[in-house]
Amino acid sequence: MHVVPQLIVSTILLGGIYALIAVGLTLIFGVMRVVNFAHGEFLMLGMYLAFWAFALLRLDPYLTLVLSLPLIYGFGWLSYRMVMRPVIHASHNVQIFTTVGLSILLQNVALVLWTADSQFVRTSYYAVVVRLGNAVLNLAQLVAFAVAVLCTAALFAFMRWSYTGKVMRATAQDRAVASLMGIDTGRVFALTWAVGVTCVGVAGVLLAPIYPVYPTVGLQFVLIAYVAVVLGGLGDMAGALLASLIVAAVEVIGSYVIGTAWKEVLYLLLFIGILVVRPAGLFGQRGAEAIGT
Amino acid sequence: MKGTWPAVVFFALAALGPVVVRDAFLLDGLILILLWGATAAAWNVAGGYAGQISLGHAAFFGLGAYSAALLGTRWGLSPWIGLLVGAVLATVFGFVLGFLSNRLRGPYFVLATIAFSQVLLIVASRWRGFTAGSEGIPVPFRPGFWTLGITDKRVWVAIVLVLAIFLYLVELYLERSRRGYQLAAVREDEDAALSLGVPALRLKVAAIAASAALTAVSGALWAQYVGFVDPFYVFSVDLSVRFALAAILGGIGTPLGPFLGAALITTLETYLRARFGGIGTGLIGIYLIIYGTALIVMVRFAPQGLVPWIGQRLRRRPVAGSGS
Repeated sequence: MHVVPQLIVSTILLGGIYALIAVGLTLIFGVMRVVNFAHGEFLMLGMYLAFWAFALLRLDPYLTLVLSLPLIYGFGWLSYRMVMRPVIHASHNVQIFTTVGLSILLQNVALVLWTADSQFVRTSYYAVVVRLGNAVLNLAQLVAFAVAVLCTAALFAFMRWSYTGKVMRATAQDRAVASLMGIDTGRVFALTWAVGVTCVGVAGVLLAPIYPVYPTVGLQFVLIAYVAVVLGGLGDMAGALLASLIVAAVEVIGSYVIGTAWKEVLYLLLFIGILVVRPAGLFGQRGAEAIGT
Repeated sequence: MKGTWPAVVFFALAALGPVVVRDAFLLDGLILILLWGATAAAWNVAGGYAGQISLGHAAFFGLGAYSAALLGTRWGLSPWIGLLVGAVLATVFGFVLGFLSNRLRGPYFVLATIAFSQVLLIVASRWRGFTAGSEGIPVPFRPGFWTLGITDKRVWVAIVLVLAIFLYLVELYLERSRRGYQLAAVREDEDAALSLGVPALRLKVAAIAASAALTAVSGALWAQYVGFVDPFYVFSVDLSVRFALAAILGGIGTPLGPFLGAALITTLETYLRARFGGIGTGLIGIYLIIYGTALIVMVRFAPQGLVPWIGQRLRRRPVAGSGS
């Protein structure tokens, strides 16, 4: 079975990127109780940012990554202030449609700015591959994986040990009690949203050298992130990590066994299966889906 | 009946349209308003009255469109039969979706419906042997009413007007009948409704199935009217959002709301397409930017939609001679 090492390596690489997308989504849900239907659009904007910097300024995507961090964070914060803050205490339906509206808005701003054509970031090291035993890896994929793991680890450390991280976790557990303890939940929400957006925006910049960019590119990735996030239990960050690997495994093994054309059906059926059988996810609390919280 | 005069005016104006106007462009706009209005009204049966917000209704629309187109191109059957087959298929899928996702609320239900419509999109665009895959299906034009090969736009206005009025009556039934009240009770508090003996599961599943079937009818008619079925359009999340958007703008859970919302959206879209269509396709995105913004602003300031919002303002106005 000479393909097994390749399948394993591909799964891990893909899973690392999916994890960074999923972790932002699940963080926002865990703390704010909002499913961000515009999550994929922030990924798309990250990809276009890399494309623009590359096409106009000849900037390497990885340099863009460092330079654009404050920009992505600032944009996330701005989108919270302008769009999310007014509806943070509104009903689920209002929040769903607010983020859906944001998604339509961002998608079409991109359409007007960059047209519907696929754009490519063709770096000089585009086709460089690395050999690892029997497995062959694309260099850009390897870098994307490494940075994604680094960012995810940093986020976990931040949530676990920093004071702000504790405040965010406290707000996630019980926002009423948190605000009684003197926590400014409004600021926590703004920070959470901006950090979640930054995660997915960074993932976008990392993906730019690997995949073509077009205004609706976010959907295919965010669907995977939804699967991972629900499988791991909405709001559960460790669960999202493990689930990202599972989804990546389903995708990689699925494409190998039944071909790339039908691989999406596999994880979508997996998704529907989880929603039907255990909507709370692998580690989530039973019944969360019925309360809708 | 009380309170239905705005709807009577709306549908009367629509019926007068073909009599007064001969311009094909304007009639086309009218047909689309009524057809999208009917589709949004069908969405409203599940999303508004049953409180099951779906962003996967394009699945049912696509089922209708594909049934009509495939039965026509493969076996030469009438689109009316295709419409019926599409509605039956959508009912079955609606039942399955309703049962499987019965426990899911809010965002979970939305995610389930999106996934469902994506599965159908992939099947339609990859199953090349049967559906012609991602190229889509050109619907053959066969003249005659039985084959829906109609060039006279006035006949089309009549067909979609009948559908629109039927949908309005369905919504009115849900607003005023015992079943409708029970459904509203389930929507507002399912546990309380259950404890009063309301068959919550049956009502919700029935509402989703009916909503699915009605959406498929719209899809079948749309395929015949437009003459081309593209899987990436008819099964898209964008299309699902469009149905929901019309209902929300007009007034979610109100009988006339979806039609008013569809009228607004379609008018704006047709105007901007005519205005900017020639310059560049990128500018088409402008109307979607306006939709996105409208959606955000609307749910923030008037989440109940335009119809109740206007209603409140009318009622607040002191009535002349009321003695107060």
